[in-house]
Amino acid sequence: MTGLAILQRLFSRATIVFFFLLLIGLLGASFVTYLQDRHLQSISLGALRMASWNLAQLGNEASAFDREMALAAVQEGDLDDLLLRYDILWSRYDYLLHSAESAPTRQHQDNERRLGDLFGQLKAMEADLLALTGNDRVASTTLAAQWAAQKEDIEKLVIDNFVGDETGQLMASVESSRDRLSTLRLITFSVLVGLFLYLAVAMVVLRRQARRDPVTGLPNARSLETLKVVNPACVVAAVEINRFQVTLSELGTEVSNALTRRFAEAIRASGLPLENLIQISQSEFLMMAALPRGMTVEDWAEKLCRATTFQWSLEEMVIGVSGILGIDPLDPSGETGWQTRYQRAHRALIQARLDGCRYHINEDSLRRRMQEERVLQQGLVRFLGNGEGTLSLHLVYQPTVRVPDKESVVGVEVLLRCHEQSLGWVPPNRVVDLCERYGLGLELGRWLFSAVAAEAGTLYRDMDFRGSVSINLNPAMLGPTLLDDVQHRLINGGLPGDCLLMEITEDNAALDFRRINEMIDQLHPLGVRFALDDFGTGHSSLEYVRELRVDRIKIDRCFVTGIENSDDRCRFLGSIIAMAQQAYMKCVIEGVENQTQWELTAGFGDVLVQGFYAYRPMPFSDLKALLQANHGELAQEQA
Amino acid sequence: MKSILSLVLINLVLTVGAVQAAPKLTIHHANGSETLDRAQLEAMPQISLTTQTPYFDGDVAFSGPSVQQLLDRYEVTDDAEVTLRALNNYQVSVEARELRQLGAIVATRMNGKTMSVRNRGPFWVMLPLSERPELDHEDYHRLMIWQLSEIDLD
Repeated sequence: MTGLAILQRLFSRATIVFFFLLLIGLLGASFVTYLQDRHLQSISLGALRMASWNLAQLGNEASAFDREMALAAVQEGDLDDLLLRYDILWSRYDYLLHSAESAPTRQHQDNERRLGDLFGQLKAMEADLLALTGNDRVASTTLAAQWAAQKEDIEKLVIDNFVGDETGQLMASVESSRDRLSTLRLITFSVLVGLFLYLAVAMVVLRRQARRDPVTGLPNARSLETLKVVNPACVVAAVEINRFQVTLSELGTEVSNALTRRFAEAIRASGLPLENLIQISQSEFLMMAALPRGMTVEDWAEKLCRATTFQWSLEEMVIGVSGILGIDPLDPSGETGWQTRYQRAHRALIQARLDGCRYHINEDSLRRRMQEERVLQQGLVRFLGNGEGTLSLHLVYQPTVRVPDKESVVGVEVLLRCHEQSLGWVPPNRVVDLCERYGLGLELGRWLFSAVAAEAGTLYRDMDFRGSVSINLNPAMLGPTLLDDVQHRLINGGLPGDCLLMEITEDNAALDFRRINEMIDQLHPLGVRFALDDFGTGHSSLEYVRELRVDRIKIDRCFVTGIENSDDRCRFLGSIIAMAQQAYMKCVIEGVENQTQWELTAGFGDVLVQGFYAYRPMPFSDLKALLQANHGELAQEQA
Repeated sequence: MKSILSLVLINLVLTVGAVQAAPKLTIHHANGSETLDRAQLEAMPQISLTTQTPYFDGDVAFSGPSVQQLLDRYEVTDDAEVTLRALNNYQVSVEARELRQLGAIVATRMNGKTMSVRNRGPFWVMLPLSERPELDHEDYHRLMIWQLSEIDLD
C-alpha cells in the first residue's frame, strides 16, 4: 500500500465520522453523568458531619439528663446535677435552633420544626423541675411522663437523621455516582488513547508524505530541509523539462504528469550514479552526483542531456522531450549548504535558458555578470523612476557631415552614455538589452525622448539650427505609442518634425517589417524620417530592405574598415552606396577614422559621413560651441 | 399575691441554680489540682477580643485571661498534652505548643456579661477568628470548647 493510500484511509470520511461520533458519545455520557450527579453537589460532606456530630451530642446530653432523672425518681442523686444537665440540654437546643453553624442540621427535612417543638416541651418542664427541689411528688410524676415523651422523640429524631431512608438513598446515589464516574474515566481514557494513536500514526504518515512528490514519488523540495550537508565533491545540477508549460496548457494535467514521470525515469536511466534526485517542482529536478572517474563536468552534462532528449510516443502523438541543465560543478571552496549550491545551479539553468543552450556550467564570471546585471537593473529602475541612485544616464552627440567639407555639420546622432558608481562606464547596447529584458524599454525610450527634447530643442529655438537629430529607437519603442511619443515628447518639446530622424536597426526592423512600415507611414506626414542603422550586418534579406520605407541607410563601419588598403573593399562600399542611391535613399557612412578613408568616401559623391575623423561624440555643451563657431556656414541639409 | 411569691421563689431558686452551675474551673497539674472561680480568673490580666463566630450572627465581644497565661502559670512545657473538658463531657486534647500559638482566651464574659450554662458558660475557650482568618476552620473550631469545666495539664 502506498503512502498516499494510507493517507487517504487515515483521513477518509468514515474514519473522521467514527471519531466524531465517539467524541459526541463521550460528550453525551459526560452530560448525562453531570445531570445524574448534580443533586449530589448541593450536599456538603462537612455539613453532614457537623449535623451527625450535633445530633449525637444531643443524644448524649439527653442520656445524661435521663440518668439524673432516673436517680431523682428514686430520691437519689444531686438535684444540682439534674439542673446542670437540664441547662446543658437547654443550651444544646438553643445552639441547634439558633447558631449559624448548625443551620444545615435544622434545614434537613423538618428538623427545625421538630427541634422547636422539643425545645418548647423542655422549657415547659422547667416549672415542674424546680418544684422537685421542694420535694413535689406530683411534679415528679408529670415530669417523668413529659421527659419520657421527649426522650422518645429525641431518639426518633436521631434515628431518622442517621439511618433513615434519606441517608440510605444518599449513600446509594453517592456510590452509583462513583461507579458512573469510574466507568466514564475508563471510557475517556480509552478514547484518548485511541485518538492519540490515530494522531500519532497520521502525523508520521503526513510527515513522510509531505516530503514526497505525489506524481513521481520522488523526494520533493521540502525534503531538502532534512538535507543537512551536501558533499562538496558532488556536482549539483538543476534540470528543467523544456517547454513543459506548453505541454501542460495544450495537453492537460494528466499528460503533463505522465511527462514528469517519464522524464524522471529518463534521468534515472541515464546510468549516471546519483546521490540525490529531488523534485523541486513539476518541471524541475535537482540532482546531486559524484562525477565518475575520468569524466569531466562537460561529459557528464552531455550524457545527461542525451539521456533526457527523447521522442515520447503518446497514443497518436510523438512529443519531442528535452531538458535544460544548469550545473554547479565541484565546489573547491567546500560549500556544504544546499541553498547556495542549488542557487548556483539554478542560476546556471536560467542562463542556459536565456542563451538558448542545452546546459550551462556555473562559473565565477557568470556569477559576476549576473550580479552586475542586478546592480544595473536596480540602478536603472531608480534612475528612470526618480533620477536618483548610483546609476546615471546622459546624452552625447556625434555630428554628421557632408563630404567633402569636414565642417559642414548637417545633423547629429544622439548617443546614450551610462555610468554606474561601482561598475564605471557601461556600454549603451548592454543598457538597452537589459531594459528590454526587464521591461524597462518603454521607460528608457521615453526618458531619451524627453532628454533629447530638453537639450537639443534649444538648438532650434536659440541657434537657428536646421540640421537633423537622429535618435536610436530601442525595440520597445516600436509600438503603438510611438506616434504619440514622437508628437508629445519630441515635436511638442521643441524639435521640428522634419528634423527628426528615427534610427532602426536592420534586425529590429526585420522582426515585423509590415508593422514598421505602418509606423513609418504614420510619422512621415509629421516630417519625421527613418534611417536603417547598421546596414549590412543584420540577418535579414535584401528583400526586406527593399520593402522597408526608410529614407536613409547607415552603412556599418565594417564596410569602411580597410578600404584604404584594399581596392575590392573600396569598390564594394562604392557599390552599396550606388545601390542605395539608385533606390533614392541617402547614405550615411559610419566609422570613417582617418584622412585616407575620408578622401576615398568623398569620391563616392553625395554622401554623409559620421566618424572620428570628422567629429567624435561630444557633450552637449561642446556641440553648442561647435555649432556657434560654424554658425555662419551652417549647412542646410537637403532631404 | 401567691403567684408573685412563687415567681420570687422561682427566681431565687434559679439564682441558686446559676450559682451552683457557675464558676469553677478545675486545673489538674503535675503537682495536684487547683480550682479557680470566676473572681480568680478575672483577677488575672484580661484579654478582650471581638470576633465573628460560627455560633452567632455578627461580632461578639469576649473577655477573660489568655490560655497562654494559664499554661505559663503552671509552667507547662511545650511538649505537654493539654486536655480541655466541658460540663457535657466533651473533651479535646491538643499539644501545649499549638495551644499557645492560637491567641486563645478562657472567656468569662460575653458582651460584658457573665454566661450561664444555658448560654454555654460559664467559661468558653474563644479564638480570635476575625483577626486570624486562618483559624476559622473545623480543625480549630473543635478547640473552642464551651461550658469549660476542667483543664488537664499532662
